[in-house]
Amino acid sequence: MKAILELSKVGITFDTPRGPFEAIKEVDLKIAEGEFISLIGHSGCGKSTVLNIVAGLLQATNGGAILDGKEVYQPGPERAVVFQNHSLLPWLTAYENVEIAVRQVFKGKKSKAEMRDWIEHNLALVHMTHAQHKRPDEISGGMKQRVGIARALAMQPRVLLMDEPFGALDALTRAHLQDSLMDIHRQLGSTVIMITHDVDEAVLLSDRIVMMTNGPSATVGEVLDITLPRPRDRLALADDPAYNRCRQRVLQFLYEKQRKVQPIPMSSDSAKSSMAVQNFG
Amino acid sequence: MFSPTKQGGMPEWTQLWRSLMKGEFHSVKVVKILHQVGLPVIGMLVFVMIWHLGAQRIDTSLGVFPGPLEVAEQGQNLYAEHVAERGKEAGFYQRQEVRVAERVLVDPGYKPVLRDYTGSATFFDQILTSLATVMSGFLLASLIAVPLGIVIGLSSSMHAAINPLIQIFKPVSPLAWLPLVTMLVSAIYTSDDPMVAKSFVTSMLTVSLCSLWPTLINTSVGVTSVSQDLVNVSRVLRLGWWSHVIKIVLPSALPMIFTGLRLSLGIAWMVLIAAEMLAQNPGLGKFVWDEFQNGSSQSLGRIMVAVFAIGFIGFLLDRAMLSLQRWLVWDKQSAQR
Amino acid sequence: MKMSYTCMRSVLIKCMFFSVITMVGNASAEVGYAEKAELKIGFIKLTDMAPLAIAYEKGYFEDEGLYVTLEAQANWKVLLDRVIDGQLDGAHMLAGQPLGATIGFGTQAHIITALSMDLNGNGITVSNAVWEEMKKHVPMQDGKPVHPIKADALKPVIEKYRAEGKPFNLGMVFPVSTHNYELRYWLAAGGIHPGFYAPEKGDTSGQLQSDVLLSVTPPPQMPSTMEAGTIYGYCVGEPWNQQAVFKGIGVPVITDYEIWKDNPEKVFGVSSEWAEKNPNTHIRVVKAMIRAAQWLDENNNANRPEAVKILAKPNYVGADEEVIANSMTGTFEYEKGDTRSVPDFNVFFRRNATYPYYSDAIWYLTQMRRWGQISEAKPDSWYMDIAMKVYRPDIYAVAANELIAEGKVKRKDFPDFASETGFKPPQTEFIDGVIYDGTQPNVYLEKLTIGLKSTDQL
Repeated sequence: MKAILELSKVGITFDTPRGPFEAIKEVDLKIAEGEFISLIGHSGCGKSTVLNIVAGLLQATNGGAILDGKEVYQPGPERAVVFQNHSLLPWLTAYENVEIAVRQVFKGKKSKAEMRDWIEHNLALVHMTHAQHKRPDEISGGMKQRVGIARALAMQPRVLLMDEPFGALDALTRAHLQDSLMDIHRQLGSTVIMITHDVDEAVLLSDRIVMMTNGPSATVGEVLDITLPRPRDRLALADDPAYNRCRQRVLQFLYEKQRKVQPIPMSSDSAKSSMAVQNFG
Repeated sequence: MFSPTKQGGMPEWTQLWRSLMKGEFHSVKVVKILHQVGLPVIGMLVFVMIWHLGAQRIDTSLGVFPGPLEVAEQGQNLYAEHVAERGKEAGFYQRQEVRVAERVLVDPGYKPVLRDYTGSATFFDQILTSLATVMSGFLLASLIAVPLGIVIGLSSSMHAAINPLIQIFKPVSPLAWLPLVTMLVSAIYTSDDPMVAKSFVTSMLTVSLCSLWPTLINTSVGVTSVSQDLVNVSRVLRLGWWSHVIKIVLPSALPMIFTGLRLSLGIAWMVLIAAEMLAQNPGLGKFVWDEFQNGSSQSLGRIMVAVFAIGFIGFLLDRAMLSLQRWLVWDKQSAQR
Repeated sequence: MKMSYTCMRSVLIKCMFFSVITMVGNASAEVGYAEKAELKIGFIKLTDMAPLAIAYEKGYFEDEGLYVTLEAQANWKVLLDRVIDGQLDGAHMLAGQPLGATIGFGTQAHIITALSMDLNGNGITVSNAVWEEMKKHVPMQDGKPVHPIKADALKPVIEKYRAEGKPFNLGMVFPVSTHNYELRYWLAAGGIHPGFYAPEKGDTSGQLQSDVLLSVTPPPQMPSTMEAGTIYGYCVGEPWNQQAVFKGIGVPVITDYEIWKDNPEKVFGVSSEWAEKNPNTHIRVVKAMIRAAQWLDENNNANRPEAVKILAKPNYVGADEEVIANSMTGTFEYEKGDTRSVPDFNVFFRRNATYPYYSDAIWYLTQMRRWGQISEAKPDSWYMDIAMKVYRPDIYAVAANELIAEGKVKRKDFPDFASETGFKPPQTEFIDGVIYDGTQPNVYLEKLTIGLKSTDQL
C-alpha cells in the first residue's frame, strides 16, 4: 500500500493564558490513495486539530504531515476542506461559490468555457444543478452542504478533508448526503478524511476508522479496518453481523475504554479561534 | 420604526393601497392603512396645530413667531424670488451678448468669453450648492475612510497605531476644524484661476474631516468581524491579499460599511450647515445666517422654510443611502430600517 | 446644461459680430479693458454698501465690462482677511481698515483705497434702561431732548453702574472702525475715558485705564447682543440703530453727523498687489461706483426710495424697508416717535464725498495714535507718508476724468484735480469744538484732552 498522506509523530501545543496546553501528541497515520478514513472520538479530543494540521490551517509543534512526499506548511486547494457549517459566501450564488474556487485553482489552465463546464459538472455531481443560481439564504442546510462539497471537489483535491460535514443536518438529510458522498467517492476514487462522532456514519462510509483517545494529549487509540464490500447499502447492512461487529468495536472504544470522565479545559472550537488570532488578528 | 418590507422591497402600505385600488376591501387592511397612513397624518396635524397656537404667543423682537401660514407664504416668496432671479439672469446674458459683440468689433484680438451670471444665489441655488458640497465632502471622506478602515480591520498593528488618533479626532466639532481648514486652504490652495472656489474647498474638507469617522470605524469593525470560516475558505483557496480583500473581506463587511456611510452622510449634512454658517461659504447654512442677520420681519419665516428644507433633504439623503444599500448589499436584513 | 447653454451663446455672439455694425465707435475708452472681468466684492450688511448694490443693479459695473458678484461677509475681520488672501477682489471697508492693515495694527497687509464710499451714516444707541437714567441729565425743550446729546449725560449713569460693581459694556464694530473712534471721541468729549490700546505690550483689548469697556460685535448682531444684555449700547451704521427703535429695545442718542459733521465713513479697499496687477479693472470699478454714488444723491435724494427697495432685498442689507428708509431718506427716529430730519445722514456723492482726502486718512491715524494703537510718537511726515501710501486720489482722478469725458458726470461735481492738495481746510464742526487741521497731526493731538499726546508712551 502506497501512502499518499503520512502523519508522523504529530503533536501540537497551544499557548493559553493558563500556560501551555498540549492538545494532541504523537499522532501517526498513513493514508493510501483512494482511501476513506474517518476520525472519531469524543468532542474536544482534537479530531479537528488533526484535520486542521493536514489542511495547513494549523501548524504542528512536533512532527508533521507529508502529502505526496512534500511537507504541508500552509493551506492549499489540493487539500480542500468541507467545513461543518458550509462556509459559503452568502453574497454569491451556488454557482458563483464554486466558480470562485475554480477560477482560483484553474487560472490559466482551463478556458472560460471549460471552467463553466467543470463548475456545472461538479454541481451536477451533488445534484444541485436545479438551484445553482440561488444564494445560500435561499436554499436548505443540506443543499448548502452539497454546494460546499461541490466547491471542495471542484478544486480537484488530492485529499478531501471533511470536518463533521453532516453534523448540523437532520437525520434524513444526513442519510441522503451520506449516500451521495458514497456515490461520489465510488465515481472519483477520492482520498477522504472525515471527522465524525456518528458511529453509524463512520462505519457506513469508511475504509478505516481512526479512534482517538480523550485529550489533553490526545492521540490515536485504535484503528479499525472496515472490510465491508462496496457499494454498501444502509438497509442491507442493518442486519449484517460484520457491520454490527464493527459498530460494536467503535462503541466499545468510545464508551468503555475512553469514557469521558472530566471536562476538557479547551474545546476544539476555542482552539480554532486561537488559531485565528495567530494568523489574522 | 418602519414596517418590515416584502421581498420586492415594496413597503407594505403601497401594496395595501394597490389592493384597495383594485377594490379588494378587507376590514383588517383598512385598520392597517389607518395605522400606517392615518397616524402619521394625525401626528403632523397635531404638530401643525400646536405650532400654530404656540407661535401666536411668542413675541420676538422681529415680530410674532411665524406660524405655518407665514412659513408657507415665505416658501412661496422664496420660489417667486427664484423665478425673478432666473428672469434677471436671462437679461444678464442678453446684455452680455451685446456687449461682447460690441467689443469684438472694436477689439478684433479679443476672444469672447461668456461670464457666468453674477446675481445673488436664490434659496434653491443655495440648496444645490449645499448638496454639491455635501456630496463631494462625503465622497472624499468615503474614499479615505473605506480603504483605511479595511487596512485597520485587517492589521492589528495598524489598528493599534491609528486607533488612538481616531478616538481623539472623532469628537472634534466642525467649528474647531474650520479655522484650521480655512487657513490651510488659503495657504496651500493658491491659484489665480481656481477650478473651484476656496470656500467650496474649505467646507468640503470640513465636512470630510467630521464625517469620515463613522465610516472608518464601522468599516474596520466590519472587516474585523469577517467570519473565521470565510477566512479559512480564502486561505484554502490561497487567495492573494488583494483578492482576499475584494472577494471576501469587502462583501462581508459591506453591511457594516453601509451602516457607517449612512451615519457619515447624516453627520456630513449637519456639519455642512454649521460650516457654511460659520465660514460664510455659500449654501443653506449661509442662507440661514444671512436671514438671521437681515433681521427683517420676514426673516424668521424664511429661516423656518430653510429648517424644513434642511430636515427634508437630510431625510431624503438617508433614504437614498438606504436604497443604495438595499440595491448593493446581499444582506437585506441589514437594510431593514 | 450650463455647457450647452454657453455653446449656444457663443454661436449667437458670432452671428452678432457680423450683424451689429452700428455699434462701432461709441466705446472710445482711454483706459484699457479690464484685466480681470469677473470680480467678487465683499460687503457688510449696512446701508452704506449702497454704491455697490446700485452699481450692480443699475448695470454700471457691466457698462465697464465687469461681471461682479457681491457677497455679504460675516464680519469686518473675515472681510479683510478675504481681501488679503485674494478670495475677494475688493470690499466695502471701514476707512480705518486700509490704514490699520498697512501700518500693521491687527493684520498686516498693504491695502489701498481710491474711493470714499460715503460720509456720516452712524449712530450711537443705548438700551432703554440706560436711556431712562440718562434722560434725567439731558436738557429738554418742549418735552423733547435738546440735540446733540453729549456724553456728559451718560457719565453719571456709568458712575452709578460702576458703583454697583457692574462694568459698563459698549459695542463697536471693529478696533479700527470709524465707530470705535467716533464712540471714543464722543465719550472723551464728555469726560469719559474709553481706554487705551497697548499693542507693544500685547494688549489689544483697548480697555486700559478705561471708564467703560468697549468690545467688538459685528454690525448685524448689535441689536440682538444688546437685547441679550451683553452690552448696554453701541455705535454702528444703519440700519442697526433704527432696528433698535423698531424692535423697541433701545434709543439712538446721537448720530455721527453731530459728532463730526461730514466725517468720512466707508471706503472701497483693495490690496495693493491686486491694484498693481489690475490697474484698468481698478479704475473701472471706481468709475462704476462714482456713477452709483451720483445716482444715490441725484436730484436731492430723489432716487433714495428706489435705493431703499433694492437694499431691502435679502441678498443686500435685508432689513425691512421701513427700517432702511428711515435714515436713507433723510429722517432719523430717536426715541420712539421722536423722528427728526437729518438730510445729510447718508451722503454718498455731494460735497466730494467720493474723493479720498489725505486729511481724512490722517484724522484716522491721529485717533489710532490717540488711543495707543500706534504705540509711539510719529513725526508729521510719517502721517503724510502713510496717507499717501494708502489713499490714492491719482487713481480716482483718472476714473473721474474718464467719466467726465464720457459725459456721464459733470466736471463741477468734482474737485479741480490739478490744484487739489488732498487736504480739506481746517475743520471746525466737531462736537467738542476742537479744530482739526490735517497738515498738523501732532498739534491736533495736543489739543485733545483725553488721549495720548505726541510723546506719551504707555
